[in-house]
Amino acid sequence: MWRNRLWRSIQRWQGIALVIAALVATVWLAWTNQLILYINPSYIVFTVIMGAIGLVFVVASFVTKADHNHDHDLDEPRRRFSGPLSVVATLLTLFVAAGLVVVPPATLTTATADQRVVNSTGVGTGTKTVGAAASAPTGAFAKFTVEDWSSLLRQTTDASFYQNKTADVVGFISKDPDDPDNVFYVTRFVITCCAVDAQPVGVPVYLPNWKSTLRTDQWVKVVGAFDTNPSSKSQQAIALVPTSTTKVDQPSDPYLY
Amino acid sequence: MGTRVEERKRVFRAPTITGLVVGLLGISAVFAVRALTPGLGKWSLPNQLQDLLTLSISVIVESLPFVILGILLSIAVQVWIPDRWIMRVLPRNAFLRRTVISFLGIFLPVCECGNVPLARGLIVKGFTVSESMTFLLAAPILNPITILTTGQAFGFGSWVFVARIVGGFAIANILGWLFSKHPDQDSLLTDRFAAECRLPDAHEHDQTRWQKSVELFTRECGVIMPAMFIGSLVAGLVQVAVPRAILLGLGSNPVWSILAMMALAFVISVCSTVDAFFILPFASTFMPGSIAVFLVFGPIIDIKMLTLMRTTFTARVLVRLTVIVGLLSALIGLVINYVA
Repeated sequence: MWRNRLWRSIQRWQGIALVIAALVATVWLAWTNQLILYINPSYIVFTVIMGAIGLVFVVASFVTKADHNHDHDLDEPRRRFSGPLSVVATLLTLFVAAGLVVVPPATLTTATADQRVVNSTGVGTGTKTVGAAASAPTGAFAKFTVEDWSSLLRQTTDASFYQNKTADVVGFISKDPDDPDNVFYVTRFVITCCAVDAQPVGVPVYLPNWKSTLRTDQWVKVVGAFDTNPSSKSQQAIALVPTSTTKVDQPSDPYLY
Repeated sequence: MGTRVEERKRVFRAPTITGLVVGLLGISAVFAVRALTPGLGKWSLPNQLQDLLTLSISVIVESLPFVILGILLSIAVQVWIPDRWIMRVLPRNAFLRRTVISFLGIFLPVCECGNVPLARGLIVKGFTVSESMTFLLAAPILNPITILTTGQAFGFGSWVFVARIVGGFAIANILGWLFSKHPDQDSLLTDRFAAECRLPDAHEHDQTRWQKSVELFTRECGVIMPAMFIGSLVAGLVQVAVPRAILLGLGSNPVWSILAMMALAFVISVCSTVDAFFILPFASTFMPGSIAVFLVFGPIIDIKMLTLMRTTFTARVLVRLTVIVGLLSALIGLVINYVA
């Protein structure tokens, strides 16, 4: 009987411990402006409000004693495999809790960019169209993001369209799977709701033997003009030929929305 | 008898200062660890492991506010709203009752993960298991936010929009009807939850409503949080392990595109209120029926939802649920792919 009671007690406090880990991590991430590494900024206010309400209930649970009579009534026969299974489950939840509370927050890496295939989706509704870009004043192109250029590159591969348009983009490096030595993508993730739905978009950059000075996952600022891709192996018809490639720090808002 | 009541009052009403102090110290310690560890430098985890953590944490951070909102609504239904408000306004005829229940999501717009604690609360309150299931399946789709975002993304007159709304309603009601035919409704529930439902409200006069609310919050966290953590980890693992290229190559085939979208919905576990915007860029490479399948199947069945629903329903019920929802949504997708 006491084992059942102990089990109930562990279950009760495991839930509270996990909710504390999740709430504290959420509030701290919001406080340090890093919640955007995990969710779209438009959900931050809602998330913080619900987090604060959650914390009030957690504190209230400390002053309300457990309803042991109720718990006692809920004693159920333990199944044969429930012991080892719950130990595994508890270890897994601890692993995630440690990830929440101990490991420094980070963005998604090239592992996910490669796994999800850069530019594999169609063009979103909020991005630049060829018509709009054609009529944009010359200075506007410097403000085009990786997402803008990548959506234009998916709409037209007519080299004349890109003439006299200088790109100035920031992103992290992921390699072109077809010509990994000479072509890389300046990559960004586009987030709809949270990092789980992140879609990698990228602008192909032709820079022979780039691995001698750069490495994947490095954040870079690339300035240059588009031209027919000189690479014979790459599937990308048009590529950015850089006039300058500078290493930069990861921006505080690494995702695009 | 009088003494027992007195004893209980003491148990429930005496605030435990020790508990409060220990608890607050605990929260402060977690805060301190969270705030100090980044100062020790970057961890050079392998990319896959780092992304597994980032994806799992993202699922938790994104679902947490909805789960809390769901638990709060469940508390409101169980503790604060009088029985007659919900139970007595519902029609007596079982079919009509489930029809009305499928639209409850319009008044309680929580996305699917928050609906699990709410559906549990509705069973405790007196809904049959099949009625609560109808709510659980319909509410993520038939709620104002989902309707609005789907309409904005695909157009209010599009096949995809109509298929999602009508399909979501039909699937929820067909499953509600099927499970209502089960002779022993209690056997559809996990032993623990069934025991909780059978329990008479013995402490009605001993606890204040606030104490009951806090007690319920604690108990629901004990059930839902471990499921959410494990669900998020599995969802993260599958995302890191299964190359997306396999799915993307299947977009233009009327049958394979449907299966690919079901697999994507199952893996990605994205919220029903925003999944329309997420899937929109895929619409150019995937057939419309498969997009509709993603939007109908995804809110009901995915890794995160199955682990959350497992807190309430038996594994057997969830297997049947998955198979039937899968077949019905595939049927909707096939009709659109071949007709539209």
